[in-house]
Amino acid sequence: MVSERQWGATGKGAAVRFLPVDRLDDLVTALRGDGRRVVGPVVEDGALKMAEFEHAAELPFGWTVRTAPGLVRLERRPADAQNADRVFDNGPAWSGIKPWTFPSRVDALSLETRSDGSLAVRVEAPPATATAVIGARACDLAALAVHDRVLAGGPAIDPDYPSRRADFFVVAVECALATSTCFCASMGTGPEVTAGADVVLSEIDGGFAARGDSAAGTRLLDRLALEPALDVQIARATEQVAATRASMGLGVDADGLHDRLLANLDSPRWAEIAERCLACANCTLVCPTCFCTGVEVASDLDGRASTATRAWDSCFTAGFAQVVGGSFRPQHRDRYRQWLTHKFGTWFDQFGTSGCVGCGRCVAWCPVGIDVREELAIIAGPAPTSTATAPQAAAPVLVPGTRILAMARPAAHPGSTRIDYVETTVAAVRPETADTTTLQIATDDPALLAARPGQFVMIAMPAFAIPPISISRIRLDGLELTIRAAGPATSFLARIRPGTKLALRGPLGRPWPVEDAYGRDVAIVAGGIGLAPLRGMLDQVLAERERFESVRLYIGARTPRDRLFVAELDALVAQGVDIRLTVDRAGPEWLGRVGIITELFRGAKPTGANVTAFVCGPERMMTAVTDLLSDLAVPPEHTWLTLERRMECGVGLCGHCQLGTRFVCRDGPVFSVAELGSDLRQESL
Amino acid sequence: MAIATTAPARAAVVNRPRVGVVKFASCDGCQLTILDLEDELLALTDRFEFVEFAEATSRRSSGPFDVLFVEGSISSPEQAVEIARLRAATRTLVTIGACATAGGIQALRTAAEHEAFRAAVYPSPAFVESLAVASPVASYVNVDAELRGCPIDAHQLVELLTAVTTGRRPQLPDQAVCLECKRRGLECVVVTRGEPCLGPVTATGCGAICPGMGRGCYGCFGPREGANVDGLARWFIDGPAMGELAPGDVGRLFAGFTGAAPIFREVTDRLEGRPLIQLQPAGAYPAELAAHTPPRWASDARETPDA
Repeated sequence: MVSERQWGATGKGAAVRFLPVDRLDDLVTALRGDGRRVVGPVVEDGALKMAEFEHAAELPFGWTVRTAPGLVRLERRPADAQNADRVFDNGPAWSGIKPWTFPSRVDALSLETRSDGSLAVRVEAPPATATAVIGARACDLAALAVHDRVLAGGPAIDPDYPSRRADFFVVAVECALATSTCFCASMGTGPEVTAGADVVLSEIDGGFAARGDSAAGTRLLDRLALEPALDVQIARATEQVAATRASMGLGVDADGLHDRLLANLDSPRWAEIAERCLACANCTLVCPTCFCTGVEVASDLDGRASTATRAWDSCFTAGFAQVVGGSFRPQHRDRYRQWLTHKFGTWFDQFGTSGCVGCGRCVAWCPVGIDVREELAIIAGPAPTSTATAPQAAAPVLVPGTRILAMARPAAHPGSTRIDYVETTVAAVRPETADTTTLQIATDDPALLAARPGQFVMIAMPAFAIPPISISRIRLDGLELTIRAAGPATSFLARIRPGTKLALRGPLGRPWPVEDAYGRDVAIVAGGIGLAPLRGMLDQVLAERERFESVRLYIGARTPRDRLFVAELDALVAQGVDIRLTVDRAGPEWLGRVGIITELFRGAKPTGANVTAFVCGPERMMTAVTDLLSDLAVPPEHTWLTLERRMECGVGLCGHCQLGTRFVCRDGPVFSVAELGSDLRQESL
Repeated sequence: MAIATTAPARAAVVNRPRVGVVKFASCDGCQLTILDLEDELLALTDRFEFVEFAEATSRRSSGPFDVLFVEGSISSPEQAVEIARLRAATRTLVTIGACATAGGIQALRTAAEHEAFRAAVYPSPAFVESLAVASPVASYVNVDAELRGCPIDAHQLVELLTAVTTGRRPQLPDQAVCLECKRRGLECVVVTRGEPCLGPVTATGCGAICPGMGRGCYGCFGPREGANVDGLARWFIDGPAMGELAPGDVGRLFAGFTGAAPIFREVTDRLEGRPLIQLQPAGAYPAELAAHTPPRWASDARETPDA
């Protein structure tokens, strides 16, 4: 992979200079003089950490780092070593750049109920602090490029990241040494620095070969008025990084890894790893590309004011994939599989690149020394000898700047990338059942009024978590939300009074594709609260009734008292709409049908290739219904489901709702059975 | 956590929730931690009526309590009776600290000969009424919420009171200490020094105090959700990156302030070669008193979409 940006082939005006070691501090001072805080590797508690520093003398001169799985040792180089006094011969600093561009905690949202009952909503803006980092390695820059893609590549843009990233100056160092846990060469991300840096240094005898890789970097070097590097020094830099590449040990066989890994979701190895894996989350938190976050809410004692903080989260915790019914990934096995298959597999589908940059931090900082290189080799097996495989499986040449493969970005639905909140008013409250309430929300926000059936909103209110709530009706003057009291926030919403202000964000997600049913028979199948997101679609179907053939509703409820929208549906029945209802358990007054929802299909089968089915309910119910529809020859591409997953952001940035290659919030929640494929039934995916 | 210090005038708050703080076998350190909340104390007393607080006031109450914080383990027969009386007088019962939630350091006697211990410590052991085991409060009565740690994290207590007043579930994380350690940007002492640290199997909530001071976590918050204690112990004994640690030494690492927590006790007893001793005192308590109010936060479920 020859790049223009190498020591021997720099463009005009970007000639290689020589920075004597005693002038390194001039570089630091120049950056600080520009008003930047300067961050670099400093010795802290037995390791090298990327921390703010003032003078070059604070950098780790004479220190090296020895690593192994589960082991990092900071050591003084022997005084007689050829590189005894060198500053950067020690591999990537453990904490990397991530804490400086994507801090572990940032204030995200403040809410306060004012004395007049109105709501003060403030989306927090990040502080604009210009930062320069010295000592970033090729792997660090590859990781930065991944974050640029994940957090700022769209469709939704993280509200915090771009401003931290905007004025970020990078002095990279090309590694003259590979630690035993480094494997950038096999991931195609290093050790050569080929993109993403402003200035690149290579540490050679007496100083550094230095080149400007950006206009700003070249200007900085110009200001330092350095001598041109000698040919022998340039040759030394070139040889040195080649030697680093050659010395790198165990790597990852990246050829076709995506396919090989995803073909082994049922490998027995996952359970064996789980015996060792502590699910402590260290691997994810030291990983420079892991981006998952959760929201923590802190409120005052009266619950009138609260702050939502976005904090690093990890797919290794139980809460990460938790919904009211439990966690989608209850076991360590499930969580490790999620991490590894995302990092090395489904990351390609989502972002067009590998999630791994080969820095080896997850190997060295795993407290029980689990080595992804070994685990991948065991789980995914060897690469096929022929490289003539599908394009997706082709060797991911991950040179930063050129390594983004073709990537299918989801279509952005109206408002579905929204990160700001709109104050709305609860105009009316209508109890549906003992635990379910419909809120009528008044708003004149054009985006909310343009919501489509199947989409959802995030609801922020002081002191509570921010739940996603599906839209149950779209009105001319606002929305209706039908909420079952399942957790504290939904319980609060279910007993809210008219006039209360709520902050809404949305509409989010992919709507029901009602147009898929034009000219076809429509089967709407709802279980329990699953009727809520289908109600808006029923509205639309009835409003355009002539565009459809037969329309049938199949509705299941736990008991007669748990039926939703009873008067409304009775009125529709009176108008001749075909609605069939069953309850799991009946009371003495119930004269209707008793039994699971699929029993309803006996009476009026939704049969044949001309049926489009829309299904919502508990996941187990949906898979049972899907099976039955499949038996009745309803095509999987015309069978639509809406999935429930934990969601904290609603726009594909927090990572919680991942299902295989999808983020349910952004790419769904509505999917066809054909789109979901085997993932629908893959246990604990 | 930001707590408004401009509290409304005392008279403005009617029907303040009645809060009690009581103790059993404990060192009072958790109560002192509450009293250390210097910035929040006035706001707390404005919003809550502290009808009993052993370490702070001589005022005593027979209840009822809207919220009762219970410190200490149940170590004597009269404590076993008293905790049932308190449970019956309390709406939300919250145990605070390692003693109340896991038995505390005194629960180490579970693994010892009780009579021999008594004889060694007291000249006339006949005058000392103590149970053979020191038990967490939850062994006797239903507990609505637990605040862990030795001592507790006072801000978790504020969070819990806030949750009670606003009707939401308190945010008491059950993740490993490691998450907080890495969010703070701390190096891992297991990895950099081969020092045993119970952080990977211990619930966070302390803010990673010990790793922040450059030492290993000793598990005072007790086991986290899904703690892989065996995996960690095996690495401490056999891990090539660790120093020389004998199985018995590793077993004793887990026998600290929360050593009576079943998952910790099991590994200690196994690695020290002892049979597992059941903690629950059989028949110590009338069954009708043991099952009282259903827990307020019975479910670990968290917020989800309704769709």
